[in-house]
Amino acid sequence: MRTNKLVTQLLGLLLVGAFVLSACGTAATPTAAPSGGGAAGGTDLAMQYKDLVAACKQEGMLTLIATPRSWANYGDIFDLFEKTSGVKINSLDENAGSADELAAIEANKGNKGPQAPDIVDVGYAYGKTGKDAGDYQPYKVTTWDKIPDKVLGIASKDPDGYWTGGYYGVMAMEVNDAVVKNPPANWSDLLKPEYKNQVALSGDPRSSNQAIQSVYAAALGNGGTLDNAQPGLDFFKKLNDAGNFVPVIAKSGTNAQGATPIALAWDYLAFGDKDTFAGNPAITVVYPNPTIASMYVQAISAYAPHPNCAKLWMELLHSDQGQLAWMKGYAHGVNQADMEARGAIPADLKAKLPASSAYASAVAPTPDQVSAAKDLITKGWDTTVGANVQ
Amino acid sequence: MKKRGHIWAWVIFAIGIVYFFLPLLATFLFSLKARLGVLSFQAYENVLRDPAFVRSFSYSVLWATLTIIFGILLFVPTAYWVRLRVPQARTAVEFITLLPFVVPAIVYVFGLVRTYSHPPLLIVNSPFLLVAAYTVLSMPYMYRAIDTGLRAIDVRTLTEAAQSLGANWPTILFRIILPNIRVAILNGAFLSFAIVIGEYILAQYLAKPAFGPYMAVQGQNKAYEPAALAIISFGLTWASMGIIDAFGRGRGQGATIAGGH
Amino acid sequence: MTQLEAVKRDALKARPAYHKMSWAWLGVMPFFLFAFLFLIYPASTIVIRTFQDSHTQALTLKNIIGLNTPFIKTAYWVSIKISVVTALGGGIFGFFLAYSAVRGGLPSFMRGSLMTFSGVASNFAGVPLAFAFLALLSPAGVLTGWLKDIGLNPYDHGFTLYTFWGLSIVYMFFQFPLMVLIITPAIDGLRREWLEASENLGATSFQYWRYVALPILLPSLLGTMILLFGNAFGAYATAFALTGGQITLVTIVIGAQLRGDILNDPGLGYSMAFGMVIVMALAITGYTILQRRTERWLR
Repeated sequence: MRTNKLVTQLLGLLLVGAFVLSACGTAATPTAAPSGGGAAGGTDLAMQYKDLVAACKQEGMLTLIATPRSWANYGDIFDLFEKTSGVKINSLDENAGSADELAAIEANKGNKGPQAPDIVDVGYAYGKTGKDAGDYQPYKVTTWDKIPDKVLGIASKDPDGYWTGGYYGVMAMEVNDAVVKNPPANWSDLLKPEYKNQVALSGDPRSSNQAIQSVYAAALGNGGTLDNAQPGLDFFKKLNDAGNFVPVIAKSGTNAQGATPIALAWDYLAFGDKDTFAGNPAITVVYPNPTIASMYVQAISAYAPHPNCAKLWMELLHSDQGQLAWMKGYAHGVNQADMEARGAIPADLKAKLPASSAYASAVAPTPDQVSAAKDLITKGWDTTVGANVQ
Repeated sequence: MKKRGHIWAWVIFAIGIVYFFLPLLATFLFSLKARLGVLSFQAYENVLRDPAFVRSFSYSVLWATLTIIFGILLFVPTAYWVRLRVPQARTAVEFITLLPFVVPAIVYVFGLVRTYSHPPLLIVNSPFLLVAAYTVLSMPYMYRAIDTGLRAIDVRTLTEAAQSLGANWPTILFRIILPNIRVAILNGAFLSFAIVIGEYILAQYLAKPAFGPYMAVQGQNKAYEPAALAIISFGLTWASMGIIDAFGRGRGQGATIAGGH
Repeated sequence: MTQLEAVKRDALKARPAYHKMSWAWLGVMPFFLFAFLFLIYPASTIVIRTFQDSHTQALTLKNIIGLNTPFIKTAYWVSIKISVVTALGGGIFGFFLAYSAVRGGLPSFMRGSLMTFSGVASNFAGVPLAFAFLALLSPAGVLTGWLKDIGLNPYDHGFTLYTFWGLSIVYMFFQFPLMVLIITPAIDGLRREWLEASENLGATSFQYWRYVALPILLPSLLGTMILLFGNAFGAYATAFALTGGQITLVTIVIGAQLRGDILNDPGLGYSMAFGMVIVMALAITGYTILQRRTERWLR
């Protein structure tokens, strides 16, 4: 009896405590107000796509996955969407990899609940994979014809409309100025003894697109080609033998703390960190020459519970406001050339962006080339660079 | 032999404190650097001002509590029964309780979604599925804690004595056995609580606004806030456990018959 | 009626022992049902997809055969090694910690604090833990800075965290507390009277431990160590954050196959997960045998 009473009291107190806390939390929540800037064009777009907006309002929600607000300034696009449609965004696993996104689509085939993603943002190779697996439904945005067929030599949209290229990133070095007094200028510099224990990848080269592309880019800078990534592995072996390579996975926290002061990362992420840290610490973004570019594509799930919201989202991504938002996030939108020609890019934004001459050496591999490079790198990493954590 | 403050006990405790304290200190020192050049609690302000922080933490506290209760109700009778009556089942039961370690969380959650997102078993959104899934995750720890506790008391004698006094099974379980394994259950509860608070993958893919996903979002591209968050959540979780502990030790007099201390 | 006839008469009415046992199994049915519905069935994709080709869904053994590469065998070996090392290391020091708090004569608040702290620390793993140790011991770390100030740069002597042993030390952060929490009730169960009795009989400390305390504690110690083993075996977030592509753990390789950003072989991922289940089963078997032997005298 005493124990029952005890358990009941304990439960009661904790429940009350939890409800009180959550009530406090809800009371303190301000009504969701989108930040200014990118949301400015909300009402015009609402008029432009009013049928989609109406249908989306009926559906009531948009479920995204693997789309952090802080990735390439997606946050502004979130606000733009919510302002245009009045519908809330439900953002699933922001750390998900592209494989997770497709797995989530497939696991939720019959499920119309909030666990099923409506739209995905995946690495380039997953455009074809997802289409072949039947995970996507085709949709061509109204500005379809304005999207170039090819960007940097690779197809930037699926001819049947199953996936659409949105933006691409260029491999760069994110350098922590507080730790690294003299930033490296190119690949060969990284081997210098002054950078001991400083060079890191932003992922595991056996599974992360970003890390594999880093090795791939290093190959280009060391005598390799898009068809031969072996020099990249050799370079990292040299880096590791020299003691310059640190195996920690570089993230914002480790970059700022100094454990990974020279991190190979997509330029938009590096610039994003630079802005977030706001000088604490100061970050320099260095484009090695040559370097690699990689496109991210978006596709609507074949089983999307809210297809109209997904379509509206796609439209917004390819509207001027959407592309500008990405550009504000330092990603290179696929429509950039067209917008430049029309003078649609504000001068102050243009001034903030790195000059395109800085990354003029960027090349983009085709899915087949990526596949071959990936096989080589993932298999060769352990044997060449040496996972001797024994 | 002296019974007060053995030297070796102090030495070991000291080593333990140094080992645990230093990494946490390093995190704390880093979290104070949010403002360039000065040490400040800016990162902490940023975290505590975020309404999502309180919301997601209290959400997880609630579910952690429910998971603990369900775990006690399921595992205490099971462990008791296995010890007392069905020792042949022990290997199978222990194997099952260790399975959650080797099932990757991502495979598990997709399996749950696939199984329970179609009628007639459409419970993917129900709170019960969440409690069940969290119970599965905390099962290795909870079960092992309870089993160790039962091992330390003489279950057979207690049961026979109670039966000879005319007690029925619920009485035996809840008025005799439970109080005697109070420490074990408490410790298991701590483990379960910490697991649910920090759990990330299940909450994400079942689309629940829990604390784990919130922490992951913060860690995405911020540098100082995640460190502050780690310290805050460490402190809050510790405090919550203190509360559970205080209640668990409760009124002091329990029907503690076995286990001399 | 003779005894024999009475026995024969009753024998017909006696129910065989078999029936009694099967009713007892009902008591564990809720558990098995729960486990089936919420663990075994949802996780059954592991077994099913091990035997399925990931593209064609046809039945195949190639995922299992694919396990027989040096890379994957190394992965299993390293995983098992780190699990055993941290189970033993964590078990031993964790036991000392728990014993100090329970029987070391320390102020009583320290026991409570240790228990609650252990609760939190047992789950402090993954990125925050890796980051904490980086913040402490990376070239830009706090402790490294202090050591450098007194003229001792560990990195000049070839120190690095990113090795097997470095990782093991980090793993201890959640292994020690786990041991502390689970073994404390067992230490509580060591009655003071036994210690006093053995002292009265003239036993030394060593003899007390060797003949009284350890034999009693051994089943619980073993049970907890298998838990620590499983805990380390299934962990990966900490290793991943700290040593990225440098360490080959089974869990990391599975993650690469199932979750990566770059096209991989999910079938292999599933068969590796299946392999983990087998390893766990083998570990349990070994543990059960050991258990039986240590428990024998306790009956």
